[in-house]
Amino acid sequence: MPGIKIDQFLAAPEREIMIVEYQDIFQTEAALKHGKFSKEYQDLSAVIRLDPADLKKIDAGDGRPVKISSEYGTIVVTAKKSEGDTKHDVRANEGHQGHPGVGYMPASVWLNILGSTPAPISAKVSQSQQKISAVDELIPGFKV
Amino acid sequence: MACTGCALLCEDIDVRDGEVRPACRIGAAHILSRQQVDPMVDHEVVSIDDAIGHAAALLADAKRPMFLGFGNSVTETQETGVRLAEKIGAGIDTCSSHACLIDDIVHSRVRTCTLPEVRDMADVILFWGADPMNTHPRLLSGYAYYPRGKNRQHGWEEDRTAITIDVRRSHTASICKGVHKIVLGHEAEFVDALMLALRNKVPKTVYDSKQILKLAGTLKKAEFGVIFAGPGLVESVPRDAIIQLMDELNKFSDFRILPLHSPYNLRSIAAVKTAATTNTNTTADVTTGATTDITTNTTTDAAAAHEHQGISTSTSKLTLNRLREADCLLCVGFDLISSLPQACDIDASIIMIDPNETLTAGCADVVIPCAAGGVDIAGTAMRLDGVEIDIPNIMETGQAGANLRTGTPARMSDASIMSRLLEAV
Repeated sequence: MPGIKIDQFLAAPEREIMIVEYQDIFQTEAALKHGKFSKEYQDLSAVIRLDPADLKKIDAGDGRPVKISSEYGTIVVTAKKSEGDTKHDVRANEGHQGHPGVGYMPASVWLNILGSTPAPISAKVSQSQQKISAVDELIPGFKV
Repeated sequence: MACTGCALLCEDIDVRDGEVRPACRIGAAHILSRQQVDPMVDHEVVSIDDAIGHAAALLADAKRPMFLGFGNSVTETQETGVRLAEKIGAGIDTCSSHACLIDDIVHSRVRTCTLPEVRDMADVILFWGADPMNTHPRLLSGYAYYPRGKNRQHGWEEDRTAITIDVRRSHTASICKGVHKIVLGHEAEFVDALMLALRNKVPKTVYDSKQILKLAGTLKKAEFGVIFAGPGLVESVPRDAIIQLMDELNKFSDFRILPLHSPYNLRSIAAVKTAATTNTNTTADVTTGATTDITTNTTTDAAAAHEHQGISTSTSKLTLNRLREADCLLCVGFDLISSLPQACDIDASIIMIDPNETLTAGCADVVIPCAAGGVDIAGTAMRLDGVEIDIPNIMETGQAGANLRTGTPARMSDASIMSRLLEAV
């Protein structure tokens, strides 16, 4: 029906996205320096970079937790505004272009919970009040 | 000294007063890393001898063992590992998406070159599905873009054209003159469109035809072109399409391809495995009574490559399916659980040999810490361009693996652990 937004009937608006993996040197460094159980590594791994338009659609702010659900699993990670709009500007020749509907996550166990990379992973993202998923909560049978 | 932080194996590294110069962030963190783990059996700390003994017993009893990794081990460890695999009839899988491309390079299906040749001659450089600023930070300054070379005296300012082709605007894109964004789900279509454009045909595609034609024009004019193939290329474009593209490019110019993988000695394990299969075609595993065809079993990567041609299933799913068939997994310098969290569900026993603490330690039946190649043990390794490099140990050591300055206890090399396992099974 015209004028009706389906999001208004949901507890938290959600957005369908495709997730693409990327490599982050600071995350690799954190894994080597502090280990894969460290807060430093988690802070750089349990992250999704979203287009500002997508962040707005799910009412999530930069740095706030978001829930991501795919066919294979659910995780809670920190949402970050895509790099083109931060001080770490990726200066492509044609200037920054948005990427609505596509989220970027660094290669990590958090991403792997959502599905098999490298194929883009289809998922739904929404804002969340839950804490960021810890490593030992993500992996069945895991003993620290 | 050489850095084993990535497959560039930078040879100008110096460690003084706890500082690593002039390494990148990955190299410095790798060399100074002290995220070590104790030897463990069933999550209980044991002596290193007990851990090796338990691992040997698991391997001896295994009917379908599989070895994973080896990309982060010196060549000597790989050779001993292949001998152990032959002895017990184990398959070896590097779990790397670059395995198919390396196989094609080793068997001369595509043309390749060395990194100094890139520095001296390359005028068109493609970073395809690759972001070396985040994975191989010194590639651009050492070889691929900034330096002046023998035939490229004007360096990046005039003599080189760098282009990225990727699904996202990577940091590397910021220095490139050409940036082509891949549309998700249309990765192979980009190659098809480029092939048509190289033949002067206007491609009908989701991509901007003018941009594709312009790219084709740049590539055809190249005197010496190089494609640095990252995961984004080898994981999403069928292997045959990459070979055909290279053939097409070489009709017009001189084009080479290099795999941009992270494990520092991945290139060597392909050579070691190829040598092993040349020497031995079949062998009988007397321990289990199973007959193992080494030709197929030690080239699991090649088998995966055939499966991979259609790219209908992702690497992880393929790997996981293969792992489910194994009853004992030996992970050597490979963090299985970080790559495939679902692997915790599989029934196989897991043995981990690694210099650092990894997530796999949380699921492994046996954990065996080892010295890090190029940090506390010496050896040889093969750079990503196939050049063999001597890897001296970097840290001041009083005995094998011990670092007196930091008080770190001695660590056994993974080659020594492999030898002990080889004797024990």
